[in-house]
Amino acid sequence: MSGFVVDFSLTRRSTDSTGFRLEARLETHEGITVVSGPSGAGKSTLLLAILGALRPERGRIAVADRTLFDSTNGIDLPVRDRRLGMVFQEGALFPHMNALQNVLFAARGDDRQALAHRLLDQVGAGSWHERYPRELSGGQRQRVAFARALAARPRALLLDEPFSALDRSARARLADLLLELRGEAGIPFLHVTHDLAEALQLADRLILLDAGRVAAAGDAGDVLAAMGSGPAHDNLFLADVARHHADAGYTEIVVRGVSLYCGLLERECGGRAVFSLGSREPLLAVAPPGPTSARNVVEGTIRSIEAHGSGVLVVVETPHPLSVSVTPSAVAELDLTVGRHVYLLIKAAALRCLT
Amino acid sequence: MAWPALKLSLSVALVATVFVVLSGTAFGWLLARGRFRGREFLDSVLMLPLVLPPTVTGYYLIVLLGRRGLLGAPLHDLTGWSIPFSWSACVIAAVVVAHPLMVRAARGAFEAIDARQLLAAASLGHGSGSIFLRIAVPLARRGLAAGAVLSFARAIGEFGATLLLAGNIAGRTQTLPLAIYEALQMGDDRAALVLSLVLTAVSLAAMAGIFRLGRKR
Repeated sequence: MSGFVVDFSLTRRSTDSTGFRLEARLETHEGITVVSGPSGAGKSTLLLAILGALRPERGRIAVADRTLFDSTNGIDLPVRDRRLGMVFQEGALFPHMNALQNVLFAARGDDRQALAHRLLDQVGAGSWHERYPRELSGGQRQRVAFARALAARPRALLLDEPFSALDRSARARLADLLLELRGEAGIPFLHVTHDLAEALQLADRLILLDAGRVAAAGDAGDVLAAMGSGPAHDNLFLADVARHHADAGYTEIVVRGVSLYCGLLERECGGRAVFSLGSREPLLAVAPPGPTSARNVVEGTIRSIEAHGSGVLVVVETPHPLSVSVTPSAVAELDLTVGRHVYLLIKAAALRCLT
Repeated sequence: MAWPALKLSLSVALVATVFVVLSGTAFGWLLARGRFRGREFLDSVLMLPLVLPPTVTGYYLIVLLGRRGLLGAPLHDLTGWSIPFSWSACVIAAVVVAHPLMVRAARGAFEAIDARQLLAAASLGHGSGSIFLRIAVPLARRGLAAGAVLSFARAIGEFGATLLLAGNIAGRTQTLPLAIYEALQMGDDRAALVLSLVLTAVSLAAMAGIFRLGRKR
């Protein structure tokens, strides 16, 4: 089964008459597809068009093998017939209904009651389903919003920055819940966020939108590597949390087969997490270094050397590409060239967990 | 003099308010959420009684509904029913002058609803009727209640259009405001005071009652 097959263009006229044009072209499969990008890139416009609240000028939208919009055949299903679940930024729960009533409003089928209760239990809302939205925390409201969206038995789920109003710990818990729901719901998810760390944690597939166009799409790790790095050329990557060494005070993480040590994390082993490594943090050596205080020594080959401001940015394939800032004189003295074998020294504290 | 006028005013205002609330809520929804040609024009027509002097509204109602009126004549020929100087005339006059207040209140209340909630309801498979009754009306209930109070107050205080269309027949079309006017004309200051106090009390009670209704969830 295919996920979202989208190919359309849509112009939104704003009040200051500077039109915004979105050229959306993407194709996804099952699992979670994350759409990320800076604000104003067209992320919400994309979701609203798929949902049916905005109409593209031309093109086609199909979700789970069903055509929802096709300008050439005059197909444009109304929102209510698209069978898409939607979770908004702050839930948009109905304030005059309690949690259970919110879910029942959506529930379909003969076993509506059972379905609603099962979903509320699944999102962890079983014990407070009689509370009204104003009596719930932001995280609790989003849990109910997940249950409500799934109760309508949608063919796909759209999520528009669902964690943006939550604090860090609530985000982490809800992200775990979302990954769990993905497995059980068996429908494609399209998750919009401007938070790259959140994107990397959730994405089976990552799509970067920029100025109304798809800038990159593919496996989350690949897209990240293709970006090179963040705006400050800090390295961002996904890693598996392998094991904790509580007595030694560090945690072992694995990035594409390479083990690294970082400061002790309060996370369960076996999960994925997003890490950042500032490009100024690693030390670069051309010969195997002796014993140092750095917990990590990673070997790799230089893939590129580019001037960047007053410094030089060296990308080392480790095999995960890592950007390292050095001075021009270091490049000259160490005779750094593309293809040269080098060693990176990385302190455990330089690896920061973002999720 | 006070009792028949009070009874008449209450029945007229209550029935008029029911009509006004139903119709005004529907038009308010249409104006707030509908996207159709002529929306601005419809808005202007509906607001007309608000800007016209009530006597002018009353005059137009006579032209329209009088025994020789545009609608009144065929109605009389067909059914023998004549609107002017009747209880129905009082109700019609009250409905027409109070209607714009309800439309305005309902429109404002519906426009204040978070559009995402209506979108969420639609995405959950609900049609416009269900969204209107189960989401929009409950969410707008405070604004609607306020509109109902205003409409009731306007209806029970209606004077000009009622005088023109329904006349001032004691015991039949003489509502409280008309009775107050007559009492003053006759020099009966005491009756005018009593009737005014009664009208004040009724208006306050109505406001308190409907606001309490709106506060329930």
